[in-house]
Amino acid sequence: MKFETIIIGGGLTGLLCGIRLAKEGVRCAIVSTGQSALHFSSGSFDLLNRLPDGTMVDNPIEAVNELIRQNPEHPYSRIGVERFATLAAEATSLLIEAGIDVEGDALHNHFRLTPVGYLKPTWLTISGYVRSEHADKLPWQRIALFNITGFLDFHPQFLSDAIRRFGGACSQHTIDLSALQTLRENPSEMRSTNIARVFDRVEVLEELARIIKESAGDADVVMMPAVLGIDRNDGAKRLTSMVGRPVRMVATLPPSVPGIQTQIALRRYFQQLGGIYMLGDTAVNYNIENDMIKAVYTVNHGGDPLFADNFVLATGSYFSRGIETTAEGKLTESLFGVDTLYLSERKSWYNRDLFETQPFERFGLAADSEQRALRGGHSIRNLYVAGAGLAGFNAVKEGCGAGVSMLTALFAASRILQKI
Amino acid sequence: MIKEFDVIIIGGGATGAGVLRDCSLRGIRALLLERGDIATGATGRNHGLLHSGARYAVTDRESAEECIRENLILRRVAKHCVEETDGLFLSLPEDGLEFQSRFVEACRGAGIRAEVIDPKEALRLEPSANPSMIGAVRVPDGAIDPFRLTTANILDAKLHGAEVLTYHELLGFIREQDRIVGVEAIDRRSGERKEFRARIVVNAAGIWGHEIARKTGVTINMLPAKGSLLIFGHRVNNIVLNRCRKPADADILVPGDTISLIGTTSSKVPFEEIDNMYVTAEEVDLLLREGMKLAPSLAYTRILRAYAGVRPLVASDDDPSGRSVSRGIVVLDHAVRDGLEGFITITGGKLMTYRLMAEWTTDLICKKLHVVARCVTAEEPLPGSRESEERVAQHLHTLPVAQRFSTIYRHGEMAEQVDANDAHKRSLVCECEEVSVGEVEYALNELDVTNLVDLRRRTRVGMGTCQGELCACRAAGLLTESGRYCARQAKQDLVHFLNERWKGMAPVAWGDTLRESEFTMWLYDGVCGLTNTQNTEQ
Amino acid sequence: MTETSNFNFEQCIKCTVCTVYCPVVSVNPIFTGPKQAGPDGERLRLKHRRFYDETLKYCLNCKRCEVACPSNVRIGDIIQSARITQDRDHVGLRERVLANTDLIGTLASPLAPAVNIAVGLKPVKYAMDKVIGIDHRRIFPKYAFGTFESWMKRQSKQQATYARQVSFFHGCYVNYNNPQLGKDLVKVMNRLGYGVQMLEKEKCCGVPMISNGLFEQAKRQGELNMVSIRKSIVEDRRVVLTTSSTCAFTLRDEYPHLLHIDNSEVRDHIELATRYIYRLLESGAQLRFRQNAPKLRVAYHTACHMEKLGWSYYSIELLKMIPSVDLVVLDSQCCGIGGTYGFKKENYATSQAIGADLFRKIEESGCDVVATDCETCKWQIEMSTSKSVLHPLTILAQVLE
Repeated sequence: MKFETIIIGGGLTGLLCGIRLAKEGVRCAIVSTGQSALHFSSGSFDLLNRLPDGTMVDNPIEAVNELIRQNPEHPYSRIGVERFATLAAEATSLLIEAGIDVEGDALHNHFRLTPVGYLKPTWLTISGYVRSEHADKLPWQRIALFNITGFLDFHPQFLSDAIRRFGGACSQHTIDLSALQTLRENPSEMRSTNIARVFDRVEVLEELARIIKESAGDADVVMMPAVLGIDRNDGAKRLTSMVGRPVRMVATLPPSVPGIQTQIALRRYFQQLGGIYMLGDTAVNYNIENDMIKAVYTVNHGGDPLFADNFVLATGSYFSRGIETTAEGKLTESLFGVDTLYLSERKSWYNRDLFETQPFERFGLAADSEQRALRGGHSIRNLYVAGAGLAGFNAVKEGCGAGVSMLTALFAASRILQKI
Repeated sequence: MIKEFDVIIIGGGATGAGVLRDCSLRGIRALLLERGDIATGATGRNHGLLHSGARYAVTDRESAEECIRENLILRRVAKHCVEETDGLFLSLPEDGLEFQSRFVEACRGAGIRAEVIDPKEALRLEPSANPSMIGAVRVPDGAIDPFRLTTANILDAKLHGAEVLTYHELLGFIREQDRIVGVEAIDRRSGERKEFRARIVVNAAGIWGHEIARKTGVTINMLPAKGSLLIFGHRVNNIVLNRCRKPADADILVPGDTISLIGTTSSKVPFEEIDNMYVTAEEVDLLLREGMKLAPSLAYTRILRAYAGVRPLVASDDDPSGRSVSRGIVVLDHAVRDGLEGFITITGGKLMTYRLMAEWTTDLICKKLHVVARCVTAEEPLPGSRESEERVAQHLHTLPVAQRFSTIYRHGEMAEQVDANDAHKRSLVCECEEVSVGEVEYALNELDVTNLVDLRRRTRVGMGTCQGELCACRAAGLLTESGRYCARQAKQDLVHFLNERWKGMAPVAWGDTLRESEFTMWLYDGVCGLTNTQNTEQ
Repeated sequence: MTETSNFNFEQCIKCTVCTVYCPVVSVNPIFTGPKQAGPDGERLRLKHRRFYDETLKYCLNCKRCEVACPSNVRIGDIIQSARITQDRDHVGLRERVLANTDLIGTLASPLAPAVNIAVGLKPVKYAMDKVIGIDHRRIFPKYAFGTFESWMKRQSKQQATYARQVSFFHGCYVNYNNPQLGKDLVKVMNRLGYGVQMLEKEKCCGVPMISNGLFEQAKRQGELNMVSIRKSIVEDRRVVLTTSSTCAFTLRDEYPHLLHIDNSEVRDHIELATRYIYRLLESGAQLRFRQNAPKLRVAYHTACHMEKLGWSYYSIELLKMIPSVDLVVLDSQCCGIGGTYGFKKENYATSQAIGADLFRKIEESGCDVVATDCETCKWQIEMSTSKSVLHPLTILAQVLE
């Protein structure tokens, strides 16, 4: 099989890179071992929330200069201050084109409500989810909070406590619908996505609306866990018009409905643009000549090589096995064996407090100024690395995971497009 | 108001719980004070091995005999805490066969069944065993769950009128001349100071008993010896594997519930460290290296976590390894030893002999209180071990198979108290270990649970492959719903629980264990926004 | 490379992704779901065999959990292996009837007209429902009068005249139900300059036996098939083609993973026909299409085992090459049949509920026909929608000059 660009890894990074290239008519294929880390998303996308020295960021575009000064190894350094704003804008419009209705501004972080009731800064939030302009209050006074009876991955007590802390009044309700009875019989499958499937049915949503109307009293807003449909992503919108007041969702523990909807929308858009998405396949081997990758081989396609002019490595970090670690304290990239950056003694990888900065989070793939992979310090001329696997940043502590994924994806795409 | 008891027991390990139960079965009013949760010290931090005594047969005949006697008793009275797995003592080429003959002879001398079997037969019985072994001896080892054992003792004691206060730390003793007449303690959760009076105070605090005795002015020389262990992700072996040689590091692999355990290392530690033990990278490497000699597949089995306990050994000589110190039971009547009335220390011994230790201590208490009552703990089964599994299974037929047998495995016939009739109560909180909403509620109502870590010890919530990633939040939600604590404390408790899990994972965080940890961080720090600082700020 | 566990289930990070893509869990609450039945359950089953749960039989074996798993856990294999080693369920008459597609075909084929009428009759359907538990609402596949094998025997001389040769593992469906598909394959291969031969001996690939608990029989037949396949590939240098995605998947992957039949030396040469043909065309071979072929709007449905093989690309690209075909690619989702799963009375409702969304999308697609590489998907879709279903090769054969 012959393509122009092959992207290894089909998550947020791989898909955004693929979409950008396919839009320019580049014939792309994505090879993805399984479903991506988007399945645990919060429904928001972070660009930059905090600098390495702990300073909170309000304006990511303004702060990126200082970030690069404090941490020159950060993937944003390669992108540079000038391109940063452009790529952030481009990422936003690609998400919207793909049908993911995001709201937000790279000049000013807003706040999302977390499943346990914190307001966390973020860049873009999918419409229909709770968001606030303030770190310490919500835009509503009287809040009616609904949960589904027996749904264990959402915690109204945590949220109602938070709402009161933010100065609001909260009434708590649980809903038991007969349509959910079958699901409830299963001890482990009363999960967000399975519930959401039930709410894809309009008659169930109508039944829900009727109950909410009866019991929401004089609330300014209705809050629900993010389970209002999965095939359809307008559940909150439809419910809003049915109950005559705003309905907003809060992310749940995994699986994440907004994340899965994002994955589906991006994949669909990529395929509409002519991209080939190979799910459940793993690249296991490659050919290289003159510092250029010629082809990769996958488990499913066996001896049938996948040729391309350019390759993008977007296989993620530890979770997705883009980088792997051993008992001997080695950190490797297992497909191409490209250079990695890490501390060599295993005991220096960890902080004893899980919630403090963990050194291992900054480990990852080395890259040159063009974001190309290196081997033995030499650039592989047509292999670009992007996303969570890159070294030099801490997605959780700096609040920049989605931003690094999308911006480095677009940066890699721009390097490829420049060559064509 | 000062409450009065006959006996106050300090320490909620197996020994303390055993003394509590024995006292209450003999009609003595007893109170147990534990500064943390039950089974948090050495009781919960060992192999969980139901020793046959074989391991001590060559070096310590007396211990070996005690072990086999207690082994047979526990199989009867604590059957829901015991798995009758048997054990194999493997001779590897590097060990030679010379030790084996001495070993078999010593076992038989101590009354321990020891059957020499062909290595091929041993491999058939236990396919995970090292195929290069040159000899094998089969002995009646088994596995015992120390958490369940302690819980069952406490449960029965309470049924017979005993009182238990966890999270109550001893501040000092109330003294009248040369007599201890009570204690002052602090409720660590409320900060309230309380006084309790009793005619006898029993020091059953394990290694911490050293400091407790010191508060009375009495000196007991104890050696804190650290022992580290590794927990593997699933049952690698179904028969206990031992090395047939003089006791050394990492020479026992025990199957315990859903996992296998290799241990231990042995090193002296200063007293300052005993409250916060970390397993070092060197210890992990050593355990793995030696463990692989027992079962080669450990090389590629996922390690869930590492942990360490402190052996409370009463110094009898100055052996630096702490190993040839006798593990014999030490009951100190301080009236005789130090002229201090009303104070008894029970120490030494091991998990296997907790019941015997309790019996001897209670005999002494009875003598002092002039109570005439026979010890029945060798005959009376513990709650949970009183009914046949089949009967309980019938009662719980509405539960799916895995959930049904996991619940019974953990609670014996007490599982009948778990609500299984409502779909919601059957919902799983912990999917790895099959812990349902009903079981969590049972533990909250009946088993003195105040936080997530306590819940884990009663039910195995968070002890499975994912180490609490899905269940921690669900369980915290249920604890909040039950009114155990408010939402804010729940979040603190979550952070504490996850950090406690991380403490064991960090020493082995590579490969899949590191992947799991990263996932946990994404969820709780990333998606949920839980952090330590935020919690202290609020 | 990180050391990987022999115990594949330990790579599970408990991320719950598999549960999102299992078609059964959301419609059948008795099935504990891929995570619980698979890696979670395996850990418990290693502790004691009493943790084996009979409800594992509700797994469709669609392998969509495996395709979705980010950790490469072979969830479906874990579930099926547990059934193979631990299931003590009684294998009844129904299981034997459904499993022995080969034997039943042999009996039915000579009497095809009568059998086809009989299995469509209400009294017969009710008897099958009540007596052996095959749902009366199920429409039985029609048997052909005369098998593919008997037709093929008459062709062998002529086929031998081609310079290049392939072998064809036709499977039970082509042999007894749809010999025309086999003839279509022969036609296409001949146009490409290849002669088609049968294997020396061919038995059912074994997939219905695996699903119905006849594991030993499946293994025996698998070993027999491997002898012929090995001879074709190693001695005669002929690749082995199949038209059925499930046969291909079984021969390639279920043999080593579930039946422990070693096929490593020949696995890469067991090919799906559409893949082989696509690759021939990609490397320069030519096919000539009829100019006047009528426009046909085709909706392609990716069967579960096709999804697992990762080969729908080839069938789709092949269909795209046909000038008269207007192709719609349906989102890949399970139709609910799961081979013989949906025939069982207790699974009928589950089966139809799983497929409902697909059926709706097919009706909405405005297609003339549905194309798929799986025969049981064909039965299910034809029974549950207004459309007829063709194999991509049949569509291709019909438009060749």
